[in-house]
Amino acid sequence: MRRALLCIGVGTAVGLFVYGIFLYLNLAIFGWNLGLIFAPLAAGYVETILANRIIGENLGAISAFILFIDTTFYSFILKNPTLGWNFITAGSIIVILQAAFPTAVNYILLVVIGGIISTLINTFKITGKKVKYAIRNQRLFTWEGENVEVETEAVPFFDEEKSNQKINNLDFYFITSTDMKDKEHDIIGIFNSEVILEKGSDLIKLNPEKIEQEKLVNIKNGKDECLIKLSEKIKRNGGNGILDLSINYALIGFGGDSIRISAIGMGVLIKD
Amino acid sequence: MILTSSNTLENKEIIEYKGLVTGESLIGANIYKDLFSGVRDVVGGRTSRYEEEIKKARDIAFESMNEKAKQLGANAIIGLKVSYDNLGGTMGNTILVTAYGTAVKFE
Repeated sequence: MRRALLCIGVGTAVGLFVYGIFLYLNLAIFGWNLGLIFAPLAAGYVETILANRIIGENLGAISAFILFIDTTFYSFILKNPTLGWNFITAGSIIVILQAAFPTAVNYILLVVIGGIISTLINTFKITGKKVKYAIRNQRLFTWEGENVEVETEAVPFFDEEKSNQKINNLDFYFITSTDMKDKEHDIIGIFNSEVILEKGSDLIKLNPEKIEQEKLVNIKNGKDECLIKLSEKIKRNGGNGILDLSINYALIGFGGDSIRISAIGMGVLIKD
Repeated sequence: MILTSSNTLENKEIIEYKGLVTGESLIGANIYKDLFSGVRDVVGGRTSRYEEEIKKARDIAFESMNEKAKQLGANAIIGLKVSYDNLGGTMGNTILVTAYGTAVKFE
């Protein structure tokens, strides 16, 4: 706690010093002192570097937030430069907020604004389609009537019951424990199988619930495929079961853009 | 439904191994949840929203697994394994919760 406060204190001091230099040299554009932007950045930078070295983790640039409060209070309440509202003012406010709340502002800039733009584009696309269907005397999203073109958004669905039956009707023992009571078995060896799922880009989600549902369905299908591959591998080696089965999920690839599903265990021949 | 991570059931005799049962659940990224937990991360302490979400996801995974065990005619699950895996997503908050085990029938 003491070391964390030290890092925040040093970060804040550096930020105030930087702001003082900007004020002294009057480095301003259209009345906006650039220290409002650079002082929180300097504070957060110094605090993060120190915290990583001394504590070994990031404190979340608390000093940048403190600088944001200090500089805003000084510039807008104490000094009151009576700035006008223009493009530079709006841009500066965004940059200052970005320096003070990087995560929140990045979210708003990337996800919210990006989402609004995507939604608007999508709305134009749907309107265009509606016009096209109206010209053809057809309806979009029509559920009844003959020879009518129907466009629906497929909802990802996974049949849990069918999957359960498929896995347990392979004439194969999938056992997660290390032993089967009252059943003799011969050990064949360690077996494993993998399935790689392409995760795809999810930077801007128009419909996050649908994407998450699709991802989950893909993972469940991938797991079934992985287990089937494992059972076939053991069967080819004369086994009919696996003990101490373990199923693992991990991100792989550049930037973790794919999901690896692996199953591993001890292949055995269980004598009924 | 009895759930155990051990190989056997204490004082009970397993009469049949019914098969593998699994349950999966995914916690997706949520802007409001992420922002609030971000505030808690700065301030410090526990992010109870995440704890609730993870508990909810674990309950869904367990429920799915138990349902499958019932379909197989089992009344217990042995060798239970539960895992929590981070699958990236926005700010790395997509978490996969998996539960699986061997469905058995005991007397």
